[in-house]
Amino acid sequence: MAILEIKHVSKFFGGLAANSDVSFDVEQGMIMGLIGPNGAGKTTLFNCITGYYPPSRGEVLFKGQRMNGLEPDRVCKLGMARTWQKVRPLAKLSVLDNVVVGALCRTNSVKVARDLAHEQLKVVGLDHKSAFLAGGLPIGERKKLEVARVLATKPELLLLDEVMGGLNPAESEEIIQLILDIKKTGVTQIVIEHDMKAIMRLSDRIVVLNSGEKLAEGGPQEIVSNPEVIEAYLGSEH
Amino acid sequence: MRPIGTSLTNNRGTSPVTIVAGLALLAALLLFPQLVKSPYALHIMILLFLSTIMGESWNILGGYTGQYSVGHAAYFGVGAYTTMVLMQNHQVAPWYGVWAGVALVVVVAVAIGSICFRLRGPYFVLASIAVAEVMRLSAMNLKDLTNGAEGILAVEIPAFTLGGTVITDFLSKVPFYYIGLALAILTIVVTWLVQHSKLGYCFQAIREDQDAAHSLGIHLSLYKNVALIISAIFTALAGSFYAIYVGFIDPTTVLALDLSVQIVLICIIGGIGTIWGPVIGALVLVPLSEALRSNLITQMLIKSGLVSGESAIGIFLKEHLSHAHALIYGILVVIVILFMPDGVLGFAKKLLAKRNRRTA
Repeated sequence: MAILEIKHVSKFFGGLAANSDVSFDVEQGMIMGLIGPNGAGKTTLFNCITGYYPPSRGEVLFKGQRMNGLEPDRVCKLGMARTWQKVRPLAKLSVLDNVVVGALCRTNSVKVARDLAHEQLKVVGLDHKSAFLAGGLPIGERKKLEVARVLATKPELLLLDEVMGGLNPAESEEIIQLILDIKKTGVTQIVIEHDMKAIMRLSDRIVVLNSGEKLAEGGPQEIVSNPEVIEAYLGSEH
Repeated sequence: MRPIGTSLTNNRGTSPVTIVAGLALLAALLLFPQLVKSPYALHIMILLFLSTIMGESWNILGGYTGQYSVGHAAYFGVGAYTTMVLMQNHQVAPWYGVWAGVALVVVVAVAIGSICFRLRGPYFVLASIAVAEVMRLSAMNLKDLTNGAEGILAVEIPAFTLGGTVITDFLSKVPFYYIGLALAILTIVVTWLVQHSKLGYCFQAIREDQDAAHSLGIHLSLYKNVALIISAIFTALAGSFYAIYVGFIDPTTVLALDLSVQIVLICIIGGIGTIWGPVIGALVLVPLSEALRSNLITQMLIKSGLVSGESAIGIFLKEHLSHAHALIYGILVVIVILFMPDGVLGFAKKLLAKRNRRTA
């Protein structure tokens, strides 16, 4: 069953089409890779899905429900959560409190939220840093914090926007394992990533965006052998 | 990098020393009017309480939620005017009028919030100033209701009776002392409760990063309005209290931009977004402004022999220093912002941490 259906979504900024007529479905439990060159409209699509902008045209259905025009907080409450390409820690709060804020999405009790937050920090391997200020963490740990915080909102669908950007290979490997572990818990994920090796390993299916349009969709093997994708990435002379 | 060792809600509990010290302080505050009979000392204490109430109220919206309102005089004025108008024009006793003021300020806050919270950052600040100015000009011009620029003078405050017995007649400053103390403690307790509840987390998440908070399921306008309503209610209580205590209000004292700025300063000087910051701010600003007003500094300079009372400088200071109130305020703020960006409280904490590290 498709947990997310994107139907003919377009987003215009003035005359610029950041997304035009993008359609695809995401099946329950899968990892969908979303790739494309810089400026292809990947983050814009995330913003349209999660309520930061209403799509100019088309519609987004989550669990069969139309999401257009819902505010991001509603979207999060319905079970769809996202991380940010540029991490957004709540800098003056402790690492634990950052995750508590996420956990409070599902409970009114701070105590319950704290227990849940510790649990999520253990999942990402950051519990030993729980008393540190979030603003002082190095980038690798900020990315993990971002994931812990968003997991604490108990999403059914998780949208990860370049969680491996700026990480060293060892840190990336940890995040890859983390994403695979999250998959095992039954959470569906859409992953934007530039690291091709990582995306090939992770994704069950891949959608390629180029200049705002969907260029290709398929399994990882189909995508790497697709001449149009190769052209978009490496140029036609290749 | 070191752990800050704290969470917003700490389970470590309070040490017995702190509890004993707190109780001793509370007892001292309760006994103060019995031991000190000087009306001036009581007056200073009442001003301290008033500043604490205003500071703590602003802190909920500005310090915790990060919405820097520079228009809090609007809520102060609504409280003050409602109480005074009801008392003078409709013979409603102030202890009922106060609650009418609270009810009205909730309506005003929701109206102002629905306009101003569409804006972010500096635009919100400007909008909050503009709205307060509209209120001031309205009070100036709605002469039938507010008596315009002449203001409202309360000739006498009716005694507070309960079932026929007179509880207090408000003839001395003592009842005001206890009311002020109770309100100040109440605002501190409410701030503590907010900080340790879901509200506190949501407020601070909005302060730190509005978009991130939004994506974590926090309804921005709901929580901003809740913060504003709590903040406005206590500011209005402070306004009512001030009006009854002083017995005279006019638009330039209770609805002025000066007052809005002063409310913000209490928090900036003491330490924004902390429970005790506004208390510290009040402890710094009230004695300072009193010293300037009564020209205590000049007297001290002359007494100490640093400046001769007959010299040109001495005469100049005697004549002008008390008017330089605002100037010295301004200089102080610049100093605090430059050297203590987290306020006196944050600065003291930093010093303590430094000393602990040296001894450790």
